[in-house]
Amino acid sequence: MNSRLSTWIILGLTLTFLIGPFLIIIAAALSAGNNLAFPPQGLSLKWFIKVFEVESFRASFGVSIFLAIFGTLAALVLGVPAAYAMTRYRVPGAETVKLIVSSPIIVPGIIVGLALLQYLVIPLGVGIGPALFLAHTALILPYAVRVVSASMENLRVDMEEAALLLGCNRFGAFRRIVLPNIRGGVLAAFILGFVTSFNQVPVSLFLSGPGLRTLPIDMIAYMEINYDPSVAALSALLAFMSVGIVFAAERFIGLSRYV
Amino acid sequence: MSDYVSLKDLTLAYDKTVAVDRLNLDIHKGELIALLGPSGCGKTTTMRAIAGLLTPRSGTVHIDGRDVTRMPPSRREVGLVFQSYALFPHLSVFENVAFGLRLRREPDLKTKVMDGLATVGLTEFADRQPADLSGGQQQRVSLARSLVMHPKVLLLDEPLSNLDARLRLEMRTELQRVQRETGITMVFVTHDQAEALALADRIVLMRNGAIEQIGSAEEIYNAPVSGFAADFMGFETILPGETGGGLAWRPGAVVLGHGPHQGEIRGASFAGERREYVLESAFGTIKADVPVSETRFEIGQQVAFDLPRESAVELARID
Amino acid sequence: MFENRAIGLALVLPAAIFAAALFLLPVGILLSEAFQTESGWSVSAYGEFFASPRNQTVFFRTLKLASLVAGVSAVIGYAAAFAIVNLPASSRGRMFGLVTLPLMISPVARTYAWLVILGRTGFVNKILVDLGITETPIRILFTETAVFIGLLQLFLPLMIISLVSAMENMPRDAVPAARILGANWLQVFVRVILPLTREGLVIGGTLVFTGSMTAYITPAILGGSKVLMLETLLYQRVTVANDFVSASVIAMILIVMSFSANLLLKRLATARKSR
Repeated sequence: MNSRLSTWIILGLTLTFLIGPFLIIIAAALSAGNNLAFPPQGLSLKWFIKVFEVESFRASFGVSIFLAIFGTLAALVLGVPAAYAMTRYRVPGAETVKLIVSSPIIVPGIIVGLALLQYLVIPLGVGIGPALFLAHTALILPYAVRVVSASMENLRVDMEEAALLLGCNRFGAFRRIVLPNIRGGVLAAFILGFVTSFNQVPVSLFLSGPGLRTLPIDMIAYMEINYDPSVAALSALLAFMSVGIVFAAERFIGLSRYV
Repeated sequence: MSDYVSLKDLTLAYDKTVAVDRLNLDIHKGELIALLGPSGCGKTTTMRAIAGLLTPRSGTVHIDGRDVTRMPPSRREVGLVFQSYALFPHLSVFENVAFGLRLRREPDLKTKVMDGLATVGLTEFADRQPADLSGGQQQRVSLARSLVMHPKVLLLDEPLSNLDARLRLEMRTELQRVQRETGITMVFVTHDQAEALALADRIVLMRNGAIEQIGSAEEIYNAPVSGFAADFMGFETILPGETGGGLAWRPGAVVLGHGPHQGEIRGASFAGERREYVLESAFGTIKADVPVSETRFEIGQQVAFDLPRESAVELARID
Repeated sequence: MFENRAIGLALVLPAAIFAAALFLLPVGILLSEAFQTESGWSVSAYGEFFASPRNQTVFFRTLKLASLVAGVSAVIGYAAAFAIVNLPASSRGRMFGLVTLPLMISPVARTYAWLVILGRTGFVNKILVDLGITETPIRILFTETAVFIGLLQLFLPLMIISLVSAMENMPRDAVPAARILGANWLQVFVRVILPLTREGLVIGGTLVFTGSMTAYITPAILGGSKVLMLETLLYQRVTVANDFVSASVIAMILIVMSFSANLLLKRLATARKSR
């Protein structure tokens, strides 16, 4: 067998299976017809325009963007000091702390969402919005700690010690030496957190109420009632957005080095 | 001043392992001192305690009359040239050297930085990034970064060990020149006896967290007090003496070809002007080297040898 | 390494307390629900849960689908990873990027695509009807096949990534050396590639298996209420019947699975580091 040929056949089939569906989504979204179908019935951009006219999509997009940005920022505020401590200090019970902080990755999101709804929102009267925010923050926390820790481990401790000897205090050494050198890692953590939060479904499943839904939940709700190509158009747009962000991040900071 | 830097009963530990046990050491002003010893002897730990990067479990550190034992590194006025150089990768060479001066808000920053770079001959590299420099150049930047702060003590961690042979000689000369010109007190850590002998006014030989011997290069080289010190200073044959102490011979002091003892040549190698032999005898393994002009022995040959009493060094302890 | 433990602790505590309060505590309470009965603490809820034929079906279906997805993705993954590793360096990175690209895209979008392809008026049915293979569209959606296809597409990239990095760590000349020694391709695979990439296979397999076990979107959209898996069953029990005891049991099953998988991966990671 020609190994060159078989290589490309294997890769061609794999890519068709992995990426083909997106091309079909894009094609279906370009349909002029009113029903979801492939091949599309005629060509038009009307479904791409329709997406922006659906009130609930606009609202839930706002919710998702807010959660992704501020949830990730909050996770970094908690995660960067934790990562710093775990790579620089002999923290008592470090293993336990690591396990606790990474638990949100281990526990399936749907369980977390349900637990928060049942034991935080309902008994304590915490709003769905704050609960969603806390849940997304906690969900991103493990990623933030892991990615930032990795780039801190690559930074030699003696640079901070040099800064201390040159007159910095601990915080000064962190701000002037550590932060500038882990910027890439922090940015990578932010992007990873953003994409994770934005695409997250199970955590938000139970934590949604009237007028307060994340975009993916809203899409699922919409497609249960409607069979038109607007979700296809929206999916295509979101796919372009995610890929665009990741591509730009790879281009400018070399994202894959950090993840 | 006889005790510019003074360590009293210093005990240093990492968690439960004691690295340095009740160490006492006085360093004079303007002295170039070497902390010498094998890895794990506590020399780097001692240096880190002087710098304030490690808090002693007990004992005190005084610098220039001040008790600095509980003082943070930033206020001790101590400089440290790290083994890895520890340059800040996100700052230019100029900014690296300017780092401490900026924190102190010193006037005439530019002049001082450029003077510092001139001391180590790197003025034209001011705008480069550390990553663009060779190892030797990085080390000189690191040296300049410490020197511009006019520290009371300059510590150097294995300053020559990452350099190749040619650069090593260059840096050695450079360090001696800087020390002569600035009169700064220098403490450097090394595991290499040749480095210590070549550079230091005084050598502090350390072993298992304690000082084994202190003395000038000649004193330690010629009169080691123990088997350990002798071994470190290149005495290859160490035997117990009749009176309880020990006797030590350098390879060059062993006489081959005649003498009261018998041994078998196990290894022979040519080293320019001398030939080096390893022989097995009733005393154990003995290393000898003799001028190439003398008779040549072959591996496996039985040979008579002598360990002359008069060319041996007497040791107070054999261990 | 700095010594001051108090500072270190102070820096980790906010994150640890946050995660503990928001995760461990509520999830712990949820897990305890199944053990509380009117007559005190008991494990009877677990017996009752597994006594129900529907729950049994869902449980075994979840295990079956997750294992199938892991197995099939291993087969495809080996072929794809071997092909990628043997590409010239210039196109290798690009191909790796293309394979991992789907991971960045919303699982909702990824699953939705299969609605278009597998639906009654979808692409596959259109071809089948046009070619005259069937008269009326067949049902593919809301079958285990649909869920399987969706999960496979969702998690295959994880397997490929694990296997590619395992193969990149393989000694460069291992395969040619075995070929020269007269091994055929099957022998090369069984005796050289498989043992040398076993770790990557375990990592990839664990990720794919637990990912499939705990997937929600794919079974929800492609399986609906006809092909329930553990997560969709949990959702249904809570929303339809307010049945927190079943939810608690399912949560325990999923957490135990996920936790053991993580432990396994951590073992592997530390074993590799210490080597």
